[in-house]
Amino acid sequence: MSEQAALAVEEVVAGYGGVLALQSVSITARPATITAVLGANGAGKTTLLRAISGVIRPRRGRVLVGGQEMTGRSAEDMARAGVAHVPEGQGVIAELTVQENLRLGAFWRRGRGTRAAALAEAYQRFPVLAGARNRAAGTLSGGERQMLVIARALMARPRVLLLDEPSLGLAPKIVSQVMELTAGLRETGLTVLLVEQNARSALSIADQGIVLSLGRVVAAADAAALAADVGLRKHYLGF
Amino acid sequence: MTEFRELTLGGISVGMIYAAIALSLVLIWRATRILNYAQGGMAMFTTYIALLVINHTGSYWAGFAVALASGLVLGGVIERLVIRPAENKPPLNAIIITIGLLVFLEGLAGILYGGQFRSFPAAFSITGLHVGSAALGVSANDVFVAVAVLAAALLLAAGFRYTSAGLQLRASAFSPPVARLLGVRVGRMLTLGWALAGLIGALAGVLVSPSTFLYPNSMDSIFVLGFTAAVIGGLDSPAGAVAGGLILGVALSYVGGYLGSDLVPLFGLAALAVVLMVRPSGLFSPAATRQV
Amino acid sequence: MTLVRHVATAAVLAVLLVIISSTVSPFRDYQMAEVACYVVAVAGLTVLVGLSGQISLGNGAFMAIGAYAAALLLLHLHWPLAVVLVAALAVAAAGGAVVGVAAARLRGPYLAGATLILAVALPSLALRYGLLGGDQGLTVVINSPGFLGPSFSLTRWQAWLTCGCALITLVLLANLARSRVGRSWRAARDDEVAAALAGLNVARLRVLAFVVSAACAGLAGALLAVTTSIVSPGAFTVTLSIGLLTAAVLGGLGTLPGAVWGSLVLVLVPTYVTDVASSHGLSSSVGSNIPVAAYGVVLVVVMLTFPDGIQGGVHRLSRPLASRLPAWPGAPRRRPPGPQFRAPASEHQEEGSL
Repeated sequence: MSEQAALAVEEVVAGYGGVLALQSVSITARPATITAVLGANGAGKTTLLRAISGVIRPRRGRVLVGGQEMTGRSAEDMARAGVAHVPEGQGVIAELTVQENLRLGAFWRRGRGTRAAALAEAYQRFPVLAGARNRAAGTLSGGERQMLVIARALMARPRVLLLDEPSLGLAPKIVSQVMELTAGLRETGLTVLLVEQNARSALSIADQGIVLSLGRVVAAADAAALAADVGLRKHYLGF
Repeated sequence: MTEFRELTLGGISVGMIYAAIALSLVLIWRATRILNYAQGGMAMFTTYIALLVINHTGSYWAGFAVALASGLVLGGVIERLVIRPAENKPPLNAIIITIGLLVFLEGLAGILYGGQFRSFPAAFSITGLHVGSAALGVSANDVFVAVAVLAAALLLAAGFRYTSAGLQLRASAFSPPVARLLGVRVGRMLTLGWALAGLIGALAGVLVSPSTFLYPNSMDSIFVLGFTAAVIGGLDSPAGAVAGGLILGVALSYVGGYLGSDLVPLFGLAALAVVLMVRPSGLFSPAATRQV
Repeated sequence: MTLVRHVATAAVLAVLLVIISSTVSPFRDYQMAEVACYVVAVAGLTVLVGLSGQISLGNGAFMAIGAYAAALLLLHLHWPLAVVLVAALAVAAAGGAVVGVAAARLRGPYLAGATLILAVALPSLALRYGLLGGDQGLTVVINSPGFLGPSFSLTRWQAWLTCGCALITLVLLANLARSRVGRSWRAARDDEVAAALAGLNVARLRVLAFVVSAACAGLAGALLAVTTSIVSPGAFTVTLSIGLLTAAVLGGLGTLPGAVWGSLVLVLVPTYVTDVASSHGLSSSVGSNIPVAAYGVVLVVVMLTFPDGIQGGVHRLSRPLASRLPAWPGAPRRRPPGPQFRAPASEHQEEGSL
């Protein structure tokens, strides 16, 4: 069981209308690991996450979660099957309160007690959110919002967490807090796919990384190796 | 002084009808960003169905219940069959589609039931109520109208706030893509939204038809005033819809009572014009953010 | 040159229409005239909605303004017909300017609502002032002009007059759509912010579009007055305004041939359906409502299956030939033209955005 990949993406081809943003991408991630997905703007990183979470349907290829075939399922189904996707720009529903956003993360889970426990756990883990629970989510700061959407995603007790650019628009100090938080998620057995422009911070917490360019994988190795490859860094990652 | 009280109370009662239509429009607007021009037509149609049931069974309440149920079903069916395919098309298509629906429903009603004005029974007595020997200026039916709409609005508000379905509905209305990512079946929520709007519209239809009589075009002017109330309150605000309906109902009642009933339609339109010029986002929604 | 091509096409069509109208019955002539009146109104509206991206549910009111202006001028001042038509157009255009300025800040359903008020309120104004003939309205009678001979059929003259005006209108609008104004309208429609940043005066463009569509509607109203011989509030209801919009969308929003298709449907379908109904022996209340119900069905079904309207379908079918025909202004592109209502601020443009 522990050898089975928590998430396997096999030669997925996906795009929008006439444009193919992903041209045969494959990844494998084991449970309790963080995989950094890196590359320049337009490389296909967001498309990859969307193809996995069901927002768009892969044209070819397969997506397997925990060994189970999930290709082509709708986003709603994927969410209920344990794949949580935190989109770029966070996806806070500004008009709802913090608590309502959180409740939305687990509304489909069976058992009132389960849901209540998940909420309590979220507040325990993120005391800032507990303090703001009745405020409209739109009034939160950037860092607080990022925390909210991660907490909301965790409410569903997912197996796989897809994080799209969590550091976007955040001050450096907050970025390192978010990265620390993400690193901690590993302990719960979660498999994290972390899309980041900020390759340096991503690689600092990741176990492995892949680099996308124009929809293809140009490098896949463990994080330390990628960080050490100066040529690769300069060419694709900007540092 | 009695005239003032009469006009006020009467205005509140009528205003609740406008509020009900406004509420259905707001529900649909929030969920699907479409203005349902067929809302009045749908209400008219379900009222005809109620009339059929009443005439057949002799029971007003059976007809009432059937009206509400068919409003629910009609709303849901329309969303699923006619509106859903149009959701990804330019917004103008949806406007034309709802107008087409309106025209179709009115034509269909004319075919099935004929164009003549039909009387529709009131739930309760329409004679004025008295306390001792003093006339209150409203009838039992007026009170029922106000209470019924208020109860429906409060139930709806409670449902939105406290139930899981209500939360999902709101999430689907505010941010469909994010809601999907969280596992909300957005399509079903939209259908539910339309069904609820159909229910409230049907309620408005049976409540107002005793005084307007029932004929294929009977809900047209009610729709215009309901739309006005929705704009006054703000298309995004359910509470605003109710408030807008009350304000409009009472204001028009004063106009009719003190200035003459032929001025009422013009005044209603003037009110809409003023609100659109001065504060199009309505009195109760946060001022719309200006772009650039 | 575009102008030459448009005029040449119009000339060819004019000859065709003269031939047709000379050979058909007076009733068909009358129908041709009716269709032509609507073509003028619908063409103006399709420019407003399709090119400029503003919705109007009130162009019937501008038709009423033009019709009443024409009637009053003919009845009381006895001006020559040509002058009357221009005057009616001008009065309606002025009305369009007023509405355009008042509504300049409104978008989407708010604009629809504002123009709806116009459609509802204006006819009732006619009832208040005796000069306007009240409920009965005003009767307008014209004669076929002397130079055509004393026994020239009035209905044929009406057909020629209205079709001629329709062709002139179409040519002018076609040129306008191709001009810098037309391009500015489309730019402002597609992205108002970008257009403003690029230096376009968006508000003035919007008002101009209203003026143009109102002028067309006014001319159409005047022509309709002259064709049907009567001007009354009952002829200019909300149903008319909605019918105009429907015709524009049905025919293909933003396309001038679409105005022709839409007007044909608007005039001919109800008559056809009523004929079918009465030939099947259905009662009059059923019979008179069948076209209404059928109309609604047509609207819904066409919008669901052919959102680009009839002209969109024609365009798609004739694509192999397209390279040999003149390109119509505003012909459907990959992205359907149309006003884009503002999305709520919290909505993320997740799907479909790169």
